[in-house]
Amino acid sequence: MTLEKQGAKTDQVALSLKGVTMKIAGLVALDDVTFNIPAGKIISLIGPNGAGKTTAYNVISGYMPPTSGKVRLFDEDITGHTPHSIAAKGLVRSFQRTSVFDDQTVFDNLLTAYHLQGRASLIQSLLRLPKFRSEEAQLKKRVWEMLEFLELRHRADERAASLSYGEQRILGVGIALAASPKILLLDEPAAGLNPSETDKFKAMIRRIGNGGITVLLVEHDMHMVMSISDQIVVLNQGRVIAEGEPQDIQNNPAVIEAYLGSGVKRA
Amino acid sequence: MNWTFFGIFVVILGLFPLVWPDPYILSVTGSAGIMIIAAISLNLLLGYTGQLSLGHAAFFGIGAYTSALMSLGFNVDIGFGITWEVDPKPVWVAFATAIFLTGFFGWLVGKLAFKVRGAYFVVITISFAQVMRMISLNWTDLTEGPMGMISIPPLSLWLPGEGVVNLTSKAEIYWLVLAVGVIAYLLVAMLVNSRQGRAMIALRENETLATSVGIPVTYFLALAAVISAAIAGAAGGLYAHTVRIIDPDVFLFIYTVTMVIMVVAGGKGTLGGPVVGGLIFGLMPELLRGVVQPEVQWVIYGITMILILLFLPRGLVPAIYDFIAWIRSPIAIPLRESKRALVEEAKS
Repeated sequence: MTLEKQGAKTDQVALSLKGVTMKIAGLVALDDVTFNIPAGKIISLIGPNGAGKTTAYNVISGYMPPTSGKVRLFDEDITGHTPHSIAAKGLVRSFQRTSVFDDQTVFDNLLTAYHLQGRASLIQSLLRLPKFRSEEAQLKKRVWEMLEFLELRHRADERAASLSYGEQRILGVGIALAASPKILLLDEPAAGLNPSETDKFKAMIRRIGNGGITVLLVEHDMHMVMSISDQIVVLNQGRVIAEGEPQDIQNNPAVIEAYLGSGVKRA
Repeated sequence: MNWTFFGIFVVILGLFPLVWPDPYILSVTGSAGIMIIAAISLNLLLGYTGQLSLGHAAFFGIGAYTSALMSLGFNVDIGFGITWEVDPKPVWVAFATAIFLTGFFGWLVGKLAFKVRGAYFVVITISFAQVMRMISLNWTDLTEGPMGMISIPPLSLWLPGEGVVNLTSKAEIYWLVLAVGVIAYLLVAMLVNSRQGRAMIALRENETLATSVGIPVTYFLALAAVISAAIAGAAGGLYAHTVRIIDPDVFLFIYTVTMVIMVVAGGKGTLGGPVVGGLIFGLMPELLRGVVQPEVQWVIYGITMILILLFLPRGLVPAIYDFIAWIRSPIAIPLRESKRALVEEAKS
C-alpha cells in the first residue's frame, strides 16, 4: 500500500541530518550523523540501547540543540529552533513514556492538541465572538473525526489516565497527529504492548503513512520494524552504520555484528 | 447548564443587601469579596497553570497603592534634581491605571521567574512581595511610609436620576465588589474554556507534551501571569477605594497565605473553588467573633483547614462534583431498583 505513494514524491527529502554531533558532558551521543528521510515513507531508526536514537529525536525535535551539524526540514534549517516552533513547521513527535494529559478526558486531550489549528485571538476567545464559536465547533468536529480514526470514540469522556496502556499509546499518537504533522516521530510506540495491541498499532501506523505523512519510528520490536518500514537507518554508538531496505539491513554483516545477531535468532 | 446556576447565585448575592441590610454584615461580606477576587486571580496561576505564586499580595498591594496615588496625586523627587509630579486623576482613571500597571508587573515577574520554574518561582515571588513592602515602608515621599495613605477618594458612579454618586455606603460597596467579582469570575471562566486556557492547563499537566504539539510555554505562562496580576490589582484598587486607608501591611505575607488557603481549600483549578473557599475562610473569622474567644477562633480556623485538606485533598468543589456524580452514577440505579424489588416482594 505504501508503495503506491512512493512514486509521487520519491525525490523530495522530508528531513535531513548533516554531520550532526551531540556531546553530552564529554560523552559523544551522536557522532557526525548524516541521513536523509524521503517524504511520504515509513522509516525506522534502530540500534542497540544507548546507540543515540532518543538523542537523535531530541535533536531533531528541538529539545536539545546539537553541538554541531545541521537539521533541515523540507529545505528549511531548523537547527536550534524551539520545540513548539518546530512543531508549528510540521514536525511533531510522540514520547516514550509521558504521552497524554493524565487528568483530562480523552476528548479534552485531543482538543488541547489541536492548539495549532486554532486562530481565534485572546480577545475573540474572551468575548466569545462568532469567530471563536465557529472555530470551537470546527475543532470539536475534528476531535470526533480523530477519535473515529483512533478507534477511541467510546472512550471520549474518560480520564486519559484510566485508559489501558495500549489505548494511552494510541491516544499519544493521536495527540501528535492533531498537530497536523508532515513528519511524525514516534519513540518506541509499541514498547510494552501485547501482540494484538501491537498489530492494531501497526495497522494504525500504516493508515497514517497512507495519509501522506512521513513517519520516523524508533522501535525495538524487530517484527514490527521489518514488516512496516520502507527504509531502515541503523545507529550504533552514535554513528550511522547502515542504511537501506529491510532485507538489506537483515543481511548486513555490520548490523548483525552490532545488534541484530541475537534479534534475528529470536525472531 | 452551569450558567443557570451561576445566574441564580449572582442574583441571590445581588439581592442580599435588600433582604438583610445590616451594615456590619455587608461590610464583612464586602471585604470577604475583595479577598475572593484576589483568590480568583491566584487560582488562574496556581490552579490552571500550576505555578505557585507566594507573592500574590504584591500585585494586590501595587494595585492598591497605584490607585490611591493616582487618585490623590503625588509629587516626588526622583533624584538628579528632577521631580515627578502627578495631579489627582479621576478615580476610575486611577483604578484603570492600577489594573494596567499590575498587569505590567505581572508580565515582568513572569518573564523573570518563568525562566526558573518551580521552587525558584516561589522564592522570586516571595522576594518580589518583600521588596514591594520595603519600598512602601521606606519611600516615604511617595507612600507616606508606615503612616499609610489616608483620605483616598471613593469610586463614583453615574446613576440615572441621581447623577454622579460616591459609592460609600456599605450596600453600594457590596454591589461594587460583587460587580467586579462577577467580571473577574467571567474573565477567568471564558479564558480557561478557550484554546488559550486549554494551552495553560496543558502546561500544568505535561509541559513537554504541550510544547511537542506546538504550545509556546513562555507566552502562555506570561499571559496567565499578566491577567492574574491585573485581576489582583483590581482587587487591590477596590480595597484602596472602599477602605480608603492603606498602609504597607497590604503587602504582608499573611494575605498571600489567606489567598492560597481559599484557593486550595475550595479546589484549585476549579472556577467555583476560590469563591467557595473564599466565602468560608473570608467569613469564618467574623462569624466566630461574637461566639467564641479570639484564640479559639483561630484554632477552629486551623482545624477546619486541616480537616478539609485531610479528607478532601482536592478541595471542596471537586468533592461536591464527585458527590453529585456518585449520586447519579449507574451503581446507584441497581441499588434503587433492588430496593423497589424488595418492596414489591414484601407487598406480594
